Amino acid sequence: MSQIDTSLPRAGLARSARAEARARAIYRFRQSLLSVIGLAIAVILITVALLAPWLLPYPDDVTGAVNPAVAFQPPSAAHWFGTNSVGQDIMTLVIYGSRISLLSGVTVILLALIIGGALGVIAGWVGGWIDEVIMRITDLLLTIPSLILAMAVAAALGTGIWNMIIAITITWWPTYARLVRAEVAAKKQEQFVIASRVLGVGPMRLIGRHVLPNIVTPVVVKASLDVGFAILLVASLGFVGIGVKPPTPEWGTMLAEARNYMPQYWWTAIFPGTAIFLAVLAFNLLGDGLRDVLDPRTRR
Amino acid sequence: MLWYVIRRLLLIIPTLLGLSVIVFAIARLLPGDPVGLAAGPNATPEVIASVAAEFGLDKPIPVQYWNYLTGLLQGDWGVSLFSRRPVAADLAEFVPATLELVIAALLIAVIVGIPLGLLAAIWRDGIFDYLTRTVSLGAIAMPRFFLGLLLQLAFAMALNWLPLSGRFPLIEFPPERITGFYTVDAILIGDWHALGVALQHLALPALALSLSPLATILRMMRASTIEVLQQDYILTERALGIPSWIILFKYTLRNAVSATLTVIGLYVSWLLGGTVLVETIFDWPGIGLYSTQAILGQDFMPVIGVTLVIAMIYLVTSVIVDILQAVLNPKVRLQ
Repeated sequence: MSQIDTSLPRAGLARSARAEARARAIYRFRQSLLSVIGLAIAVILITVALLAPWLLPYPDDVTGAVNPAVAFQPPSAAHWFGTNSVGQDIMTLVIYGSRISLLSGVTVILLALIIGGALGVIAGWVGGWIDEVIMRITDLLLTIPSLILAMAVAAALGTGIWNMIIAITITWWPTYARLVRAEVAAKKQEQFVIASRVLGVGPMRLIGRHVLPNIVTPVVVKASLDVGFAILLVASLGFVGIGVKPPTPEWGTMLAEARNYMPQYWWTAIFPGTAIFLAVLAFNLLGDGLRDVLDPRTRR
Repeated sequence: MLWYVIRRLLLIIPTLLGLSVIVFAIARLLPGDPVGLAAGPNATPEVIASVAAEFGLDKPIPVQYWNYLTGLLQGDWGVSLFSRRPVAADLAEFVPATLELVIAALLIAVIVGIPLGLLAAIWRDGIFDYLTRTVSLGAIAMPRFFLGLLLQLAFAMALNWLPLSGRFPLIEFPPERITGFYTVDAILIGDWHALGVALQHLALPALALSLSPLATILRMMRASTIEVLQQDYILTERALGIPSWIILFKYTLRNAVSATLTVIGLYVSWLLGGTVLVETIFDWPGIGLYSTQAILGQDFMPVIGVTLVIAMIYLVTSVIVDILQAVLNPKVRLQ
């Protein structure tokens, strides 16, 4: 009498299927030239930011050292990006500024993700009046342009990098709360979640093991796109004169100062401006690429 | 339809009410000392107390809010702590300037973005498509203030074609105020010289503001046109031998634009926020510049006023977009 094989598929097989899917995703990502360019710029920026202390041509300039004798030098071998009104090396300031921009951009998105995500899970899972209250608050906050809201909060809190991060986070969490809420509410109705619940799985485990892993994709795509826009908002706040104050070098603040020296000293504006542009572009391309890879429905 | 519009417009009121609570709370509960700033660095406690009393800032915050709200309903939007001018008068002066800029930018974005997106979709994967796609990705990442600076550098400083900043030359009188829009007023009174001058001043800031929405509209338009072109009914029309330009203009365009419209509506709020930076760069006397100055001075009455006006414009726009949506696409039912 033959034996029927009733054992479950071995874990090894499932893993190889997953590895194959991952290999395919990496292949798709590499197929898209723009995503690879985005990834390359992002990697360069992050490396520069991490290694900044060792890369600075004139390390004293980031702590506020001035050198009026070499003010407004055009780009040269000694100063690749030229110098500013007090003789500081622009390349040094731009390199060090990458730390401020990337750190605040990434921190803002992480905080917004944690706060918005938690509120979104509560709203989507619990529903009822809690859902209603959280969603109406996000509605209200989203009718105010984020730049104006962030400016108002940052101005009231005072200057400083952390106050700026808090201000931007306040404007940013509602979008994540809405996204996560919609995804959680949809997944809650799915058969596999209902089945797990019937089997007696508790709410924490249900959300942590069965719901959240299934909503990671759209959230990750949005977060990677948003890092670029958060960097842009940081620079915008610096540009209007709110946020990080000199001597800490910040790209937007540098650009605002450079405005006063146009057009003779164009290099004081071109290099920090290009740095902002490249940072935003890198994360936009990266996010677009990730969306193509992770979310096949929206692929071109 | 009419009832729908009325109900949607009425729903704006509770939203604005809720918003006024939130903005008031942000303005008043956060640390910061607007009274001290307004009274000056050498003010004695008595002076500070009298300034606080003058603006009613010595009362509990709920009372302050109630006074603000009842004033608002009577057209009193509060008074600026610094200029001591009524906020309502300032807004009446600055809102048209900003609207003129935003509408000009939106017009550029729509007039250029929709045809380019359509062409990119028709010549899909061709050189034109690739070029516009790459350039539009760059355009979205371009900071508006950096773009504004580059435009000034090129067209105002190097080439000297257009004025550097401002809305009208300081030595000339702007056209007589009818709507507050210089271009519209100049046309209404038939002052063609003033129209030319106003347009010259409008060109660079509108361009700087329009690039990012232009790129987004282009991308949206391309995506939705491609989607429509893949529908079965288009295939049927092709099979029936209907000329491709009729298919395009009669059967595709309308559906594709309807999807793009939502994005355009969403962009109005973005544009109103974006004017802050563009107005700062170009010294454009609108609510962006006004609110920046107010925020930097923690002069919160103007800030609350600007926020409420922007929210109102945004909410009215979304009603208009929904109505246009229903006009373009009979499948959308207004409920």
